[in-house]
Amino acid sequence: MNSPRVITPQERLGTKPEKLFLFRSCTGSMEYPGTESAIKEVLKKLDIEVVMDSDQTCCSGYILTCSGHTPEPSLAVTARNLSIVEQRYAGLDMYCFCNGCFGYNTELSHILKHHPAYMKMANDIVGQWGFEYQGKVRIRHVQELYYLLLDEIRAKVVRPLNGLRIASHYGCHYLAQQYEILDDGDLPTFHEEIYEALGATPVFYKERRMCCGYSVGRGFTHKESVVQPHLGRKFDSAKEEGVELMTTTCPGCNTALDREQVALANRGFGPYNIPVIDIGQLIGLAMGIDLDKLGFAANTIPMEGVLERIGLGKGA
Amino acid sequence: MPREHDREWDPELIHKVDRYHLVENLEQCLQCGKCTGNCPVAAITPSYNPRAIINDVLSGSITRLLDSEEIWRCFWCANCYRVCPVDINYPLLMMQLRYMALENGYGQKYVNGINKFVFKAFDHGLTFVPGQKGIEKIGRLRTGVGAEPWPTVSDEAKAQYQAIFEQTGAREFMEKLQDSEQKPLRLSYLEGRIVNE
Repeated sequence: MNSPRVITPQERLGTKPEKLFLFRSCTGSMEYPGTESAIKEVLKKLDIEVVMDSDQTCCSGYILTCSGHTPEPSLAVTARNLSIVEQRYAGLDMYCFCNGCFGYNTELSHILKHHPAYMKMANDIVGQWGFEYQGKVRIRHVQELYYLLLDEIRAKVVRPLNGLRIASHYGCHYLAQQYEILDDGDLPTFHEEIYEALGATPVFYKERRMCCGYSVGRGFTHKESVVQPHLGRKFDSAKEEGVELMTTTCPGCNTALDREQVALANRGFGPYNIPVIDIGQLIGLAMGIDLDKLGFAANTIPMEGVLERIGLGKGA
Repeated sequence: MPREHDREWDPELIHKVDRYHLVENLEQCLQCGKCTGNCPVAAITPSYNPRAIINDVLSGSITRLLDSEEIWRCFWCANCYRVCPVDINYPLLMMQLRYMALENGYGQKYVNGINKFVFKAFDHGLTFVPGQKGIEKIGRLRTGVGAEPWPTVSDEAKAQYQAIFEQTGAREFMEKLQDSEQKPLRLSYLEGRIVNE
């Protein structure tokens, strides 16, 4: 917080990349396969080549936060994943589409780079398979790329979103990230600029900065009954503003906000019926990507109402 | 509740807690409380107070903390760290307090919930793999978007992921947690692996 950490996308990413490494997210690829596929389609439309690697494993950050194991394996796993990018795809930036992967990779690589003993431990372990993490690869989030390429995205909108009232959920693990982010952690607005570019109406609601409750509600540190009233408050304030759709940049947040609405309704909160999708899926929708590729079938709160609203109903 | 006497306080506690040397600036804490004001857990649980926890660690008052439920509430959102005027990485302090609690025989019940997921992650190289039915559903959804039915992690990657867990002692840690019914854990994994001196 002492050094300025809000920087422009140009400073953070430089010019538009021709090719990037996409870091697979466990929750993203299992709970919402449409997220990954939508991001790939959007990047294809933006003429950016995407590479992934099946040798990449989970970032192993979430279990560390629950104290399910010690930091050593997470440090070594981070060194292994990042050295794969450094060695096999030299010069490419690594893009995450999950705030968790992004935050943990950033934090753990920061620890590695600033504690030579940990770097040595991690490299001793991954060295037996020929890997060596040098701390060179840059870790970025896909949402930053959308903001960098906002004008290009605006020019490629073929299905304007018809003033759809969209609310943002940025996610703590992006906004509270220490090292560099694109916007102010308390009042970020760059997602809202993206909505406007897509022809939608950004909606500010009172509890937009409130945590999704993935870890506290669905996870292991709290009882659900303790968390749900607070999540209810978030959705109440969104409902009051007439929110029709909410977007996330983290499959974990998406899981909590989408799946939890049923449990909330069972406890007498709502029903809210606000669909929650990834911002990449939203951009894909406006760019005219085939609906099958966007994978809305994985959502608990159905997208039909939203699709109808922008003229993509079943009858259309 | 037995009365706590300041003779029991341990001024060296901070160095014992910060075994990984990750929060070396804790003594700079101003006790301003911005961490607590920005903490979503404190909003939910008023008895959870990061500022007070830092104060307790600094004054060496260990007994209240280690057997408390509060230290298991943090989930690393790092909003405290984001607003801290002196850049204290509070989540990493909390992480290390928990290992200390486990070693002293407290808090295993809070980790047991995640334990089976850790073993699953160990097997698959992916976190939160569901059961067979869930895997089938994922297969249908992934096929629907034109992806392969399962997010493939290569066998080689899985073997290396598992080897990392074995070699860092994490596997041993997981197994001890599974066996333990609130027995103190001996965390032998630290010995000889990381040298900070």
